[in-house]
Formats: sequence, C-alpha cells, structure tokens
Amino acid sequence: MPGRVPAALRRARSLASARPHLPSRLRSRRSRVLVFLGLLGPGLIAANAGNDAGGIATYSEVGAKYGYTLLWAMVLITVSLALVQRAAARMGTVTGKGLAELIRERYGIRWSAFATVSVLVANFGICISDFVGVGAALGLAGIPVQVSVPIAALGIWLIIVRGSYRSAERVFVWMTIPFFAYPVAAILAKPDWGQVGHALVVPQLHADPTFLLLFVAMAGTTITPYMQLYLQSAVVERGSTEADLPAETREAVGGAIFADVVAAFIIIATGATLYVAGIHSIGSAADAAKALEPLAGQYAELLFGVGLLGASLLAAAILPIATSYVVAESLGFEKGIGRRTEEAPVFVGLITAMIVISTIVAVIPGVPVISLLVGVQVINGVLLPINLGFIWRLARSEELMGEHRNRGPVDWVTAATVAITSTLSLILVAVTVLGL
Amino acid sequence: MAATQTRSEAVLHLSLILGGALVDSDGARLGKVDDVIVRLEGSGYPPITGFLVTVAGRQAYLPAERVATVEPRMVTLSKAKLDLRPFSRRPEEILLKHDVLDHQLINVEGARLVRANEIELARLEGWWRVVGVDTGPRGGLRRLLPKRIGGRIATGDFLDWASVEPFAGEAPAVRLRVLHPRLAKLHPAQIADLVEAASHDEGRQIIEAVGSDADLEADVFEELDARHQIEFVAERSDEEVAALLSHMAPDDAADLVAELPEARREPVTERLAPSQRRKVRALLGYDPAEAGGLMSPDFVSVYRHATVAETLDRVRRSGLPDENLATVYLMDAKHRFAGSLHLAALLRADPEGAVIDLDVEDVPHLNPEADFEEVARLMADYNLIAAPVLDSEERMIGVVTVDDVLEVLLPKGWRRRFGLLGED
Repeated sequence: MPGRVPAALRRARSLASARPHLPSRLRSRRSRVLVFLGLLGPGLIAANAGNDAGGIATYSEVGAKYGYTLLWAMVLITVSLALVQRAAARMGTVTGKGLAELIRERYGIRWSAFATVSVLVANFGICISDFVGVGAALGLAGIPVQVSVPIAALGIWLIIVRGSYRSAERVFVWMTIPFFAYPVAAILAKPDWGQVGHALVVPQLHADPTFLLLFVAMAGTTITPYMQLYLQSAVVERGSTEADLPAETREAVGGAIFADVVAAFIIIATGATLYVAGIHSIGSAADAAKALEPLAGQYAELLFGVGLLGASLLAAAILPIATSYVVAESLGFEKGIGRRTEEAPVFVGLITAMIVISTIVAVIPGVPVISLLVGVQVINGVLLPINLGFIWRLARSEELMGEHRNRGPVDWVTAATVAITSTLSLILVAVTVLGL
Repeated sequence: MAATQTRSEAVLHLSLILGGALVDSDGARLGKVDDVIVRLEGSGYPPITGFLVTVAGRQAYLPAERVATVEPRMVTLSKAKLDLRPFSRRPEEILLKHDVLDHQLINVEGARLVRANEIELARLEGWWRVVGVDTGPRGGLRRLLPKRIGGRIATGDFLDWASVEPFAGEAPAVRLRVLHPRLAKLHPAQIADLVEAASHDEGRQIIEAVGSDADLEADVFEELDARHQIEFVAERSDEEVAALLSHMAPDDAADLVAELPEARREPVTERLAPSQRRKVRALLGYDPAEAGGLMSPDFVSVYRHATVAETLDRVRRSGLPDENLATVYLMDAKHRFAGSLHLAALLRADPEGAVIDLDVEDVPHLNPEADFEEVARLMADYNLIAAPVLDSEERMIGVVTVDDVLEVLLPKGWRRRFGLLGED
C-alpha cells in the first residue's frame, strides 16, 4: 500500500525545495509572535513613529537653535513619555479596551467626541507633515513632490485598504534604520561630552518666545496622542492578558526610552554640527541633512533622505489606522480596516479622505516645509493635555484597573506631567494669541 | 410643542431623564437625577426600580415607589417628604448610565457587538421600562449636540431590548445570570467570535454565562483562538479544565493541552476520563504540523464483511458528532485499512448486502508524519472531506477533516472578523 502514493503527490514532494512556508497550528504561530512582535512590538513601533518627519524637523531645529542646552527637557519628556505609554499599554492589557472606548464608557459621548475631534485634528496635521516629509525626502533625489507624494499616497492607501499591512509595516520599520546614523554621526562629530552631560542634568532656560514654542513642540512631537491610542488599541488587538502585563510594561517603557535616545542624538548631532557652525535655523531638508555629514560626507543627503522617507511612510501608514480605531471606538462602529470596502465604508472613507487631503496640502508649491512641521507639533502640544488628563484619570481608577492601577510616585509624576504640559500649552496659546 | 408632549408621554429617552430636575409633589426643586436603576427580569422589558439622585450635594438612592411621574427633564416625587438612603445594588439591578449607556451590548439577533448610543423607555403595564437601544449614529448625535438642538433630531432605529444582551459592568450580583436564550441559540463559532471581539471582562461574562451548559461551553472553546482559551483556562483548577476537555473533541482537546503551560499539562491530562486521556496522549505525541497532529481519533470503522444494516446500526449507536459519521471506514480481519464508504452510499444500498460488495472507494491515505502540504494537496486532489491516517502497520488511527485543514490554510487576518492588528 505504500505504493499507493499518487503521482501528483510525488510531484508535489519533488517541489519540496521550492515550497512556500505554511504555518502550522502551534509552533510557527508562536515563533512568528516571538520573532516579530517580540522584537518589534507595538510599544516600540508606537514610540518610534514619533521620530517621524515632524519629530526630526523639531529635534534638528532645537539642536541648531540652542545646541545641547535643551537636552534636560528631553530627559523630562522621556520620563513623561515612558509613564504615559506604560499607562496606555497597561490599560489595554488589563481591560482589553481601547483608550477612546474607555473615555466613552467612563466620561460619556461628549468627552469622547471632544477627545476624538482633538485627535482627528492632531492626526490630520501629522499626516500632512508626513506627506510633506515624503516629498522632502524624495525631493533630495530631485523628484518633484507633485510626482512623489501622490505615488506614495496611492501606495499607502493600497497597503492599508487592500491588505498586506503587516508585511509593509516590517518594510517601514527597516527603512527607519538609517536613523541609527544619528547616534553614529553625533559621536563622529566629536561633541563636547562635558557640555552634553551638563545639559542633560542642569535645566537651562532661554528668554525668548521661540524657546517656549520649541519646548512645547518638542513635548508635542515626542508625546503624541496617537501613540497612546495606537499602542493601547494594538495591545488590545494583540489579545494581551494580565499574564502579559510585565512584558507589555517593559516593552512600552523600553520603546519610549529607545525612541527618545535616538531623538536626543538628533539634537546632539545637529548641535555639534549646525549650531557649532553658526547655522541656527533650518530652512530645508537639505539643511537638516548636514548634521549627518560627519558620518556620511557627501552621502549625507542620501542617508538622510532614505531615513526621512522611511520614517514618514511609517507614520503616514500608522496614522490613518490609529485614527480610524479612535473613531471606531468612540462612535461604536465595527472596527475593521483591511476589510472589504463595503464592510467598513466609514473607515475606508475616513482613511481615503485623510490621505487625499494630506496629499493635496503637501503638493501645494511653496509650502514652507520646516515651519509647517514645527507648527503641527505646536498644535499637538496644545491638544496633548486633554489626552493625558484622561490617561491619568483612567490609569489611577481602582474600579477599572484594580490592583494594577497607578499609585504613589507613578501617579504623582503622571499628574505632574499632565499639570506641566497643560501649563506650557496654555502659556503657548496665550503667547500666540497675544502675538508676543 | 404639543405634538412632542403627547409623544413623550409614551416614550422617553434616557438622555432626557439624566441631569433632569428632581421635584417634590408641590413642584419645588430638590436636586437632580444622576442615573436610572432597572431590574433585569428574565427576558422581559426591565422596569425602573429606582433613581440615583443628587440632593444638596450628596448622592442618594430614590426608590421608584416614591416617584409619581417621570417626564423629560423632570422626575416628580409622590409625596412632599423626601426619604433618601444610600444606594446598594440588589441582585439583577443595573445602572443604565453607568453600565449600559455608551457601553457595548450583544446584539443577539445579528451576533455582533454594538454600542448603546441612546436608551428608549416606554410606559408598559403601568410603569416605565427599557424597551429599546439606539445603536445608530442618530442616537449619538442627539446626545452630542446641545439638548435644545439634539432633541429635534429624529430618533433613529431602535433595537428591541429583547434582541440585546447587556454586560453587567462590575456588578457581581448581576453577573451570574442564565444565558440569554437567544444567545444560546447562536452557533458556538459566533459566540466565540463575540468573546474574541469583546474586552476581557465582557468576554469572561459571556464564558461564565455559557458555562451553565457544559457541551455548549466545550463547543465554544473549540472555536476560540489559543490566546482566549488560555486566558479563560488560566483561572480554573486542573479538575475544571479536565471537565471542560472531556466535553471537547479529542483533537481540539489535545490542542488546548498543548497550549497549556508545561507544568499544567500532565496534571490536567491525568484527570481526564481514561478513553479521552488515551486519545489526547496519543495525539500529543504527534507534531501538530503533521497529519498525526491534525487528525481526530474519532471515526467509525467496521470489518469489510459486515452487512450494510450492521454498519448503519454502528453509525446509529455511535456517540460521535454527526460530522464525524459522514464517512465510514472499512478494515480487514487484521485491522488493516480497506477503504471507505459514504453514509449516503450505505443508505442507498441493500441492507442485507455486505459492505465489501458496494463500490468501496479506494481513497488514498496519509502517514501520521505527512506534512501539512501533503495533507492539503491530497485532500484537494481527491476532493476529500476527510482523509484517513494509517500507522506503519496500515491500521487506521485517525482522520483529518477538511475543517482542520481550512483552519490552517485560512489567510492571515481572515480568521477573525474584527480587527486588523491581530497577530494572525
């Protein structure tokens, strides 16, 4: 009877060397999770998406304008970011609900609508900035934005709406690797490490309005509302349970610290090159790329361009998803992108609108790229306290979080973060409105 | 205005009661209404049993017996005197605002989760009861806009309360309720979908409710993904897990055992009934990616010289689920595999004839070590819904059914109806 193996099967066996990898029920699911999500989980992706086009522009601007003197702020912002990301990941793990969902259930439809609209506005701004980033990156290669941005937009739309988001996400993450060039460039630029150390520890203030603006922009780009929303939704989607709490906490905190170390090196690299050379303002992507010159020399622009492109695409792909999750959770629609259009018309519509409008804004000739990017971060900085306030209140709720609620120092520092960012934002609004 | 007045006598919306004034029988304002308490009784429309009110800055409970009328933005006491006490939940009571409004509900009709944007109450049998839930955008918009404008938006379609099942929030007294009769009628796979889409606490409530029917619970567990299986099994004792496993199909039970933490596998397996334990142990010995790991050891086989009537009788007396009986397998005197027969072929045949004389299908078979592709190709090439698995002595040890193969073959992301960022 062994001779009964059909010819077709033998043929199939002979093709074994070229066979595609098929998942088995147990082993590979686990190994996939370990290999991919273990290394590049939502905690890391969420925080690193913050180092997008707007982030790079802001950090470069900070480094060029003030050298290392704002590094102490980066330390504070990192503590805040780590706490906030940690709270979001833990809430998702313990409750199995997204942030917008929790706001809706605890504070009613009006607050959730308010939070949703603020996130929509902020995300729209960031989305525009990331398409501008795509245009600027490809602009370094001489491709006009009128060509590059629509093509990139179409690609992102296809990836999100038509399917293989997961594999694309991996590509995007790899494309951010050129950003590791910043730490190397920072070291090669031989900064005065004594000054860097001093700046990290000793707060230094500047008495001009740009300082405040950049400070808030820095907080806004590093602690962006969509990061917490994305992280919490992703943790929920991942199906994490209380058993995963230590791992989720570690990943959220680790991702935040990692992202901010990269951000700090962007400041150091620009501080050690542009600031030292007397260039105190960045007008274009090409200016920002100069910070990479100690490492890449004449290839600095290429390196910068590839990194900026990857970072912009990553954020531009994650943003519409995070946005539609928020809308889904707060309005109570069925979630589901990557589904067929007819099953989720609201989402496909929302994503399409976001991408189309961002594309149109990004290709208008004569848009002042860097100031637009920084401006968006300012809006984010203003909207941030709303979101943070909810996270603080929800994460300390015993009814919701039980024994895993924020208590003691963690709760106090979170409260202080909310208070400080709110104050800064209000001052900024006052300064802007009064035209100081 | 007059028209609204008459209509509002018949139907009230929760958002119009909340925040409304609490007045005594003389019309003097005493405080405001914070929440409405209803009692879930069986499958009927839940009546209002009381209100949470704030009077002079303190929150208190107002039993429904002391209320004369409920109108938009006004609740009137039946007496002039106000008798307030602290609120404590009684069994079966839920708070409409705290537990239901803005929260997820199960739409039992469509087997999906919906969110309550508005709650509709009506006067039935002399008192106000919850009759429906608005899950559409209109209900949300009505509440979103200021009351003056929002109140003018026509109400959307309300889901009848009879077709929804609320989650009970954090109220332990309400949680151990019997399963909604219509929820019990859903397919186990639909219930599993709901559990996977719901939050941890909501999923646990569904599982708890399903737990009253051991067979249904086992069916739901068979359909759950590994993550959720582990989540709900983690809190149970080894005995409870074994009891659950004993109601599951052996191949699904073996899969679940394999997902358990190392230290629990043996204690749980030991507590199984002997026959189930033997099957699970045997299945655990195979690589889950190969035919041995995919197969189920549950099938009916007869000697090839048996008569059709005898064979049908075996099928009739078998305790196996229907889907395992669609094909009957034949063996020779040495228990070696000798072909298969469709149940339909047996039904059409002369009952007195021997099965060997029928047109026995000479189906190809699999080794336990056959890898997944081999299994899938064989079944596709020969149009099989079930493929027999033979050991080295050609004795049949199990059958791989098409659903086991589909489960593995299903493209990433198709497995779950909800969500995008899932690990699949």
